[in-house]
Amino acid sequence: MRTLQRYRIFLFTLPAILVIGAFFVYPILLSLRLSFTDFTGVGIANDVGWKNYERIFTRSRYLDALTTTVVFTIMVVVVQTALGLFFAALLHRLPAVRNLCRAALFTPAMMSFVIVGYVWQFIYSPFNGGLNSALAAIGLESLQHNWIGDPNTALIAVAFAHIWMFTGYTTAIFLAGYAAIPSDLEEASRLEGASSWQRFRHIEVPLLAPSFTINIMLSTIGTLKTFELPFIMTRGGPDGATRTLSLHIIDSLFGKYKFGFASALSIIMLILVVLVAYVQNRYLRSRENIT
Amino acid sequence: MKIKRRVGTWLLSAMALILVAFMLLPVVYMLLTSFKSGTEITQNPLGLPANLDFGNYINALSKMNYLRSVLNSIGITLSVTVLVSFIGALAAYPLARRTNRLARALVLLMALGLSTPNFVTITPIYVIFRDIGLLDTYTGLILAFTALNLPLAVFFYTSFIRSIPIELEEAARLDNCSDFRIFWHVIRPLLGPATATLSLFVMLMVWNDFTYPLLLLTDESKFTVMISVYRFVGNHNLSPNDLFPAAVLGSLPLLILFIFFQRRIVSGVTAGAVK
Repeated sequence: MRTLQRYRIFLFTLPAILVIGAFFVYPILLSLRLSFTDFTGVGIANDVGWKNYERIFTRSRYLDALTTTVVFTIMVVVVQTALGLFFAALLHRLPAVRNLCRAALFTPAMMSFVIVGYVWQFIYSPFNGGLNSALAAIGLESLQHNWIGDPNTALIAVAFAHIWMFTGYTTAIFLAGYAAIPSDLEEASRLEGASSWQRFRHIEVPLLAPSFTINIMLSTIGTLKTFELPFIMTRGGPDGATRTLSLHIIDSLFGKYKFGFASALSIIMLILVVLVAYVQNRYLRSRENIT
Repeated sequence: MKIKRRVGTWLLSAMALILVAFMLLPVVYMLLTSFKSGTEITQNPLGLPANLDFGNYINALSKMNYLRSVLNSIGITLSVTVLVSFIGALAAYPLARRTNRLARALVLLMALGLSTPNFVTITPIYVIFRDIGLLDTYTGLILAFTALNLPLAVFFYTSFIRSIPIELEEAARLDNCSDFRIFWHVIRPLLGPATATLSLFVMLMVWNDFTYPLLLLTDESKFTVMISVYRFVGNHNLSPNDLFPAAVLGSLPLLILFIFFQRRIVSGVTAGAVK
């Protein structure tokens, strides 16, 4: 009776459990089951064993998509973290303009992927696009390029738009980390004559470890499932140069009605995300403990 | 020495402002180009528009079903906010006050929800919705968004409720109040700041999300703003005279809100990420 009383309060979690069960647990299980079938959305789903997974790992287009996704993620995470750290370190030293700049940098994160995708698609456009026009205006016509029409530059161009969108977010998280650094520590090092760079390298970077963890994990998980920007800007082209895993999932689902195969792809994505998140979490947390 | 340092700070500030302005160029470009005619974009791609011509906007407004989709987005956002904050706060209360095995298992369940990419669940959700008739309904979309935001809400409220002193509840407990009455009369009235931050988060997410409404809606009258923008601009033969006014109209409501509440929004979104 008493135990019952003690657990009664957990009835409060019932609605949440129902929602999570219906929208996460059951769908993941269903996805897993469908991934071993040739389900086309209608009719019966025939069991096909590991055929869907075999297809993913033997056809170069799916392996290429996996590589594209990982390369895209690495580019975004590295550059975005570096840029965010740079801006945060700069703004931390400039209290007078800090708030204004933080808000200005954050503005693109308020916009939708759809709009960022369209605007950047036109910036990169070979027909009067903003980037080529700007290059012409400063006399660098020779650098003009069909940025998202060339398979060699398309992925970098899309990654750049993504980085532009979220640098302010990364900066804001680093600035929150800066605010948690005890100010007397900084004062002491300043009195001992440490230069701005020395303080950055030996005090700020180690103490910002928790912010690194959050930033890197957030941007990695967010970028591994990237869909909207390549979907809007390039539709995966040219020549599959920007075709990410999520683009394949949507294409198999609504382009080809291969629900079973799409499920197998999404299970691969889940494993990828969980694996990367686990490894990163372990590594980054252990870094936090050193300091 | 002091003067030298002040000059240094001045120079550094100027540099920071220039860099930040550079980052904002695409937004400025979007605004300027939205007022230009087709020939003006060719002849003067980067400069100020010759005059403030709202022709592009009038054309976009008449063709993209804007007001209707704004109302749809607002309605969906409000419903999701109400559902997420109620279900989330309710679930967070026992998780904040108990630390037994059940509580830990539930936290793990929420973490599963938080870390699952929505592409993993989109195929089954589509199939389930189709089978039970939730495809192309407001209800379906609201439920899907509620689920997407719920794990974060639970974590958010849990850490917030932990910071509420338990002594506040003890008086009510002595009066033999039920758990629910304690939650409703003691805890809920204190959740205002957490709910405000959370609703900013939900609003940002629901307004800007593209994937769910793209896959779950087909009826034009139910479109959210971003789907209207997407359908209006299209994928082939990008027309800048359609693209830029639609982009401005699509982001304007949130950008205006951001100008007024920027401190709150930045710190709220950051706090949400850090939790």
